[in-house]
Amino acid sequence: MKETWRLVDLEYRDDPFMNLAVEEAIPRAVGKGKAPNTVRFWHNSNTIVLGCFQSAELEVNFEACKETGTQVVRRFTGGGAVYHDSGNLNYAISLRKGHPLVPEADLQSVFRRLSEGAVQGLRSLGVRAEFQTINDIQVDGKKVSGAAGSIRWGTIFHHGCILVASDLAILGKVLNVPKVKLADKHVASVQKRVTTVRDELNRDVTTREVRDAMVKGIETCYSVSLEEGVLTRDELSVSEELYRSKYSRPEWNLEP
Amino acid sequence: MVSVKSADYKAPGGKLVRVRLKEENGVIDSVRISGDFFLVPEEDLSKLEKILEEVPLREAEVRLAIDRFFSATRAQGLGVSADDFVNALLSAKEEAVDA
Repeated sequence: MKETWRLVDLEYRDDPFMNLAVEEAIPRAVGKGKAPNTVRFWHNSNTIVLGCFQSAELEVNFEACKETGTQVVRRFTGGGAVYHDSGNLNYAISLRKGHPLVPEADLQSVFRRLSEGAVQGLRSLGVRAEFQTINDIQVDGKKVSGAAGSIRWGTIFHHGCILVASDLAILGKVLNVPKVKLADKHVASVQKRVTTVRDELNRDVTTREVRDAMVKGIETCYSVSLEEGVLTRDELSVSEELYRSKYSRPEWNLEP
Repeated sequence: MVSVKSADYKAPGGKLVRVRLKEENGVIDSVRISGDFFLVPEEDLSKLEKILEEVPLREAEVRLAIDRFFSATRAQGLGVSADDFVNALLSAKEEAVDA
């Protein structure tokens, strides 16, 4: 019999802080066995999401954020800063540690294995997507999706964002990209090394369309069925607590 | 003599390690490591920063401290290795003073 995973579409589009609180509450519950293996889809309006080891001061152009109404929040996983807007689709997968899909439980295997559902979903739409180590999905050398993740709280956690129809001009303004990083990739700007699903297909694409394709991609790829569900009462109260104590606070988001 | 040094070190085939440290008479006084790498468990990065305090800013000592960190914590890096942390620290240069 096919394994069933929970599918959650809970999001707070205009509250990136609450979105990130929910993002942490789910893997905490899954690892304890208080919630089933879960896939979540969600959106943020204009927001920079920093990796947990990044310096806000170095990565963020605060002036440009002010001009464009972009907020800054830090996630609990490593990796690099990403720009989210309503044209960007976020997904997160939480599996109980020891799940046969990722028996190795090292991060590189997690990224490789748990990006496959997204790759499959994008391919079904006609995007020539390929996983690229360490944590990207690319189309002809341009990044269309980045992933991050962790193994903690007894959970294998993988999340990523897919540039469906994002405003790459704002992305280029609000993030400072260190020179040493661009030099290594042989391209002059962040805008030139990323692409969107819309640009690849040369037509209007909604994030809903990509989300539906990803649901099918995940179901096919991992032989599971996704069943729509909601957060438990416990997950909601943990989310609220994490919002209060962590994600709504500048000490977490902007320092050190 | 106290000096503030920093480095942006791009790990070959990996991620960016950004270092900012205060050095006093050849010894690391404090260090802050940031970047877009992965390290599990995440809390261990601050342990590494702590371990590096009071370590002479020389290859042998820095390497020993970082190797000890990885064997003691079993931290798992991705896009960054013990060598990359060593190279990032040793490549730190004195910051240009704003005119």
